[in-house]
Amino acid sequence: MTEIKKARGMNPIVRLAIILFAVSAITSGVLGLVNGLTEDRIAEQQRLKTEAAYNAVLPSESGYAEIAFDAEDPVFSNVDALSAAGDAGWVVELTFSGAQGSITAAFGVSAEDYSITGASVIDHAETSGLGAKITEDDFLASLVGQTEGMAVTKDGGTVNAITAATISSRAMADAGNMAIAACKALG
Amino acid sequence: MGMNILTIALGAILMNNFIFSQFLGCCPFLGCSTKVDTAVGMGIAVTFVMGLASAICYAVNLLLVQLGLDYMSTLAFILVIAVLVQFVEMFLKKSIPSLYTALGIYLPLITTNCAVLGVVLLNVQNDYNFIESVVYGITGGLGFMLAIVLFATVRDRLQFADYPESFEGFPIALTTAGLLALAFMGFSGMSIA
Amino acid sequence: MSIKQQFKEGLITNNPVLVQRIGMCSTMAITTTLFNGLGMGLSVLIILTCCNVAISALRKAIPNDIRLAIFVVVIAGFVTIVDLLLQAYIPALSASLGVFIPLIVVNCIIIGRAEAFCQHEPIGPSFWDGIFQGFGYTVVLVCMCLIRELLGSGTFGTGIFEIVNGALNVTLDGSAAGIRIFPENFGATILIMPFGGFLTLACLLAAMQFALRKSAEKKEKAARAAKVEVPAPAAEAKEAAE
Repeated sequence: MTEIKKARGMNPIVRLAIILFAVSAITSGVLGLVNGLTEDRIAEQQRLKTEAAYNAVLPSESGYAEIAFDAEDPVFSNVDALSAAGDAGWVVELTFSGAQGSITAAFGVSAEDYSITGASVIDHAETSGLGAKITEDDFLASLVGQTEGMAVTKDGGTVNAITAATISSRAMADAGNMAIAACKALG
Repeated sequence: MGMNILTIALGAILMNNFIFSQFLGCCPFLGCSTKVDTAVGMGIAVTFVMGLASAICYAVNLLLVQLGLDYMSTLAFILVIAVLVQFVEMFLKKSIPSLYTALGIYLPLITTNCAVLGVVLLNVQNDYNFIESVVYGITGGLGFMLAIVLFATVRDRLQFADYPESFEGFPIALTTAGLLALAFMGFSGMSIA
Repeated sequence: MSIKQQFKEGLITNNPVLVQRIGMCSTMAITTTLFNGLGMGLSVLIILTCCNVAISALRKAIPNDIRLAIFVVVIAGFVTIVDLLLQAYIPALSASLGVFIPLIVVNCIIIGRAEAFCQHEPIGPSFWDGIFQGFGYTVVLVCMCLIRELLGSGTFGTGIFEIVNGALNVTLDGSAAGIRIFPENFGATILIMPFGGFLTLACLLAAMQFALRKSAEKKEKAARAAKVEVPAPAAEAKEAAE
């Protein structure tokens, strides 16, 4: 008796499981297809974005040569990638926390006097309309020419902080300092 | 390391509170905040599930990245959360019936709470390691609980307030929540140096 | 139900945000620039329409016990597809909306419509339901954006419109600076912040309640007036007869 009951009880569950599995399988298949179609384009977009950022911060005709660094060293703790831009200097890619989430940005550092030649935000999750203004030229221009120890105007420095987005601005200034420190540590 | 954890924890509770600064989990926040008891129950349930989901989805994400299937993460995470909520419900019913009766009715609602899926996605986006993910999950839940309990206590008083007729119900509740968000803005800019 | 009726429901009488009060997280979170609002609204419209059609088509095959699980899988599938397409073709929008695109999965509008409408209705009405409900959602988002952007930073259409050398420039990569209506310093920045999100939505909801109440009152008055007027012609007729 109980066995029959069990068998009857099992059947609908197996049927449900099969239906759910089938729907999931079809969805996964479609997703795989779409991913296959878009994967290259997404990678390409990402590459273009990074390349544009590198060119914006420190243009180099001879391209960018990646430099290996000791990731364990605290100086490099926020550094994702470090490249030499010919003899002019370095491009440092860093990820650090902003006001809402992490920010990934590239900084160009001059080999002459360790000053910032340019900055560009690659990825961020700051509030649009406020912290997101760190991507605008007006703000990024105020980072150019800064040297180690830079700070936003509110903290006594000369980096023009964005109105109502001091935290995001401060994070960018700090990141600039990290970029310079990393380049100095290279020697 | 310890400092980092503390920064994440304080950030999730105060500076980047899930409700007041990231708008994650607004539906249960507005729906389950008419009574303080309900708010506390919902808060505990959310904290519990957020912590667990962070831990499990960390492993799931590792697996997906290993297999090169990270585009499937949203689908995988929501399924994990749905199954997890179901299991927690079954487990509590069997082993801790007292807790089950207290939390039971809130558990099914959590699957569609965007704070839970949100915390998991943010863990991945911010590249948190296992401990950081779990801490972010639990403290994010605590932040949610703080917000919803504060809101429920204020909302209790609203029935005695005199406001324009058109603001009856949701609009006045939203205005109140906005004022609380304004208060929480005072925490932004706090940092542990 | 006719298409016209569905249109009215989606836009006004059963508007997802203003009347059903669902999907409020994203409504408050991302409505800081027109680019975000329009992008989010259209993404939801597309996903909602696709999900509605898919769920309606499958409605006879979906067992009642696991319908929510299946809805979630279908929704997550469409959301991921849109997410991937946005990353590939409009990366600026994907970067700007961030985590709120995958979070459409738990947006109550979609699962709500699946549960309340599509699991009983044929494909045609479900399709129009998706279009009109999505449109109603988009309209509310755009209103929120226009208000917050104008009062908060004094611009119109950031990310989409821009005036370059006196000519209107429309772009879709999110880089446009917007049309400046008044200087930024006069803007109430607070409206761009979370507080502004709560407050703007509260005011819109209140305005909606006000309008609905007024229209109800008007109808009532009209009904009463009609009742009073009915005997009038009769009285006139009597007078004429006398």
